[in-house]
Amino acid sequence: MKMRLAAAGLVFLSFGTPASAHRLDEYLQATTISLEKNRVLAQIRLTPGVAVLPIVMAAIDTNGDGVISTREQRVYSERVLGDLSLAVDGDRLKLQLISANFPKTDAMKEGLGEIQIDFATDLPRDNLERKLVFENRHLRPIAAYLVNCLVPRDPNIRVTAQNRNYEQSLYRLEYMEGGFRSGPLSLAWRRDGSGWLVFLTIVLLARLAVEWRKRRA
Amino acid sequence: MRTRAGLRVVIAGLLLLTAARAQTPPSRMAGAANAFIATLTGKQRGTLLFGFDDERQRARWSNFPTRMSRLAGLSLGELSAPQRSAALALVSSALSRRGMEKVQQIMDGDELLKTNGGNNPMFGKDLYYISILGTPSEKNPWMLQFGGHHLALNITIAGEQGILTPSLTAAQPALYTINGKTVRPLGQENDKAFALLAVLDESQQKQAILNYRVADLVLGPGQDGKKIQPEGLKASAMNDQQRAMLLDLISEWAGIVHDSAAAARMADLKAGIGETWFAWSGPTTAAPGRNGSSYYRIQGPNLVIEYAPQRMGGDPTMHVHTIYRDPANDYGRKLTAK
Repeated sequence: MKMRLAAAGLVFLSFGTPASAHRLDEYLQATTISLEKNRVLAQIRLTPGVAVLPIVMAAIDTNGDGVISTREQRVYSERVLGDLSLAVDGDRLKLQLISANFPKTDAMKEGLGEIQIDFATDLPRDNLERKLVFENRHLRPIAAYLVNCLVPRDPNIRVTAQNRNYEQSLYRLEYMEGGFRSGPLSLAWRRDGSGWLVFLTIVLLARLAVEWRKRRA
Repeated sequence: MRTRAGLRVVIAGLLLLTAARAQTPPSRMAGAANAFIATLTGKQRGTLLFGFDDERQRARWSNFPTRMSRLAGLSLGELSAPQRSAALALVSSALSRRGMEKVQQIMDGDELLKTNGGNNPMFGKDLYYISILGTPSEKNPWMLQFGGHHLALNITIAGEQGILTPSLTAAQPALYTINGKTVRPLGQENDKAFALLAVLDESQQKQAILNYRVADLVLGPGQDGKKIQPEGLKASAMNDQQRAMLLDLISEWAGIVHDSAAAARMADLKAGIGETWFAWSGPTTAAPGRNGSSYYRIQGPNLVIEYAPQRMGGDPTMHVHTIYRDPANDYGRKLTAK
């Protein structure tokens, strides 16, 4: 086949385009958000391009010894979380670091290394309709942001709207936590104010039934 | 030693003949697999074969050059000519004619990267790997993996069923000439998408076109089992012609696998087309005969397709990555679940 290629006199139709298999001049930061009842979990995957690696490494390898120590990993993970903000229903929430995985420095030099940081936050109170706002400001001049919400595993949670700015640094998500699933076992009504009306009606009917039985006796 | 090698080739030839005469795709594939295995030494077989339950090997695929992201299995470069021919015959037995052509064109593109890069050892056809999980069989499930830079085919075979998900196809250069013929390995994926976008009316386009940039694949390698919230235009809001065009676009991925498996998959996707979404990000036009620089995503209950031009390497119209998934049945899990 090599001969075939040579004999064919292959013509590369794009001139001056270097063959590059890896990310170059951007710092890809892909966030996926998972919704649970009264809890938000997220994962951010950070892939520095080879051309911006010195900027990223300067932020991670703060003592410049070429090795990313456990302490440097933790400090950098906290810095990333500090550059993120997550607010739900108007409350800005503290992000808790769950885990962080760093690739080998050699892989990062090839533009392959992916840093993975998992974090979560608990929501302070029940709410039927939620509004989530996520913002990523980490190393903005070199960043290429992605942010997406995973389809909730809990059938009682439903995403109703998503909005982003052009760079995907800002993400607004609206979702419902319960209250829309019909069925005899659904307890979602309890979180809705109208649930109390149903409850009072049941109590009233029960009382009437007792009174009726007393009169018949 | 020479006699043994000769004997292996004769046996493999006989098995290949048997495979070629076999009628059904499962028997054809199993025959081609056994013919390939028969050409190998014991050590090579040990490198090729994995247990069907080897989850680590199952998920070991990527779009990167194999020098960067090591794959397991046998590389074409370490095979003799008859072995290599038998390996490619096996891959071919699992694919449609167009699917195999696409694979060859992706590999030709990578060979071009090698020759244009001064014999760059990171690229080239020798660096594509083949592996088998389980025992090739007409009835019992097994898996064939073939891939390298810009290609990852994960084909689960379970009787008549052939599941190609998850698989990655990509191209750089996305446009080249060979033997005087212009080749665009993923040209149809580009052209059919632009054609579909063009027949959407203004209101439909407004829904389909996302107002933000998508810099890369969202559900690329390493993102198994994830399902993101769909966006864009739902096919239930398309007319019959537009839905037919969407299905035709999907067939560029679903039709890579052999024809009978592709027909079953397309029937399944057609049944669920109303719940399928089409989302677009980027320019709405492209230069004729070239790929555009726009990202798009097709997503349904049993389908994720992403087409993502890459800025790396300079010109996004010359470098594209795509992913093809079935979130409900990646690696044929529905068929092989115990």
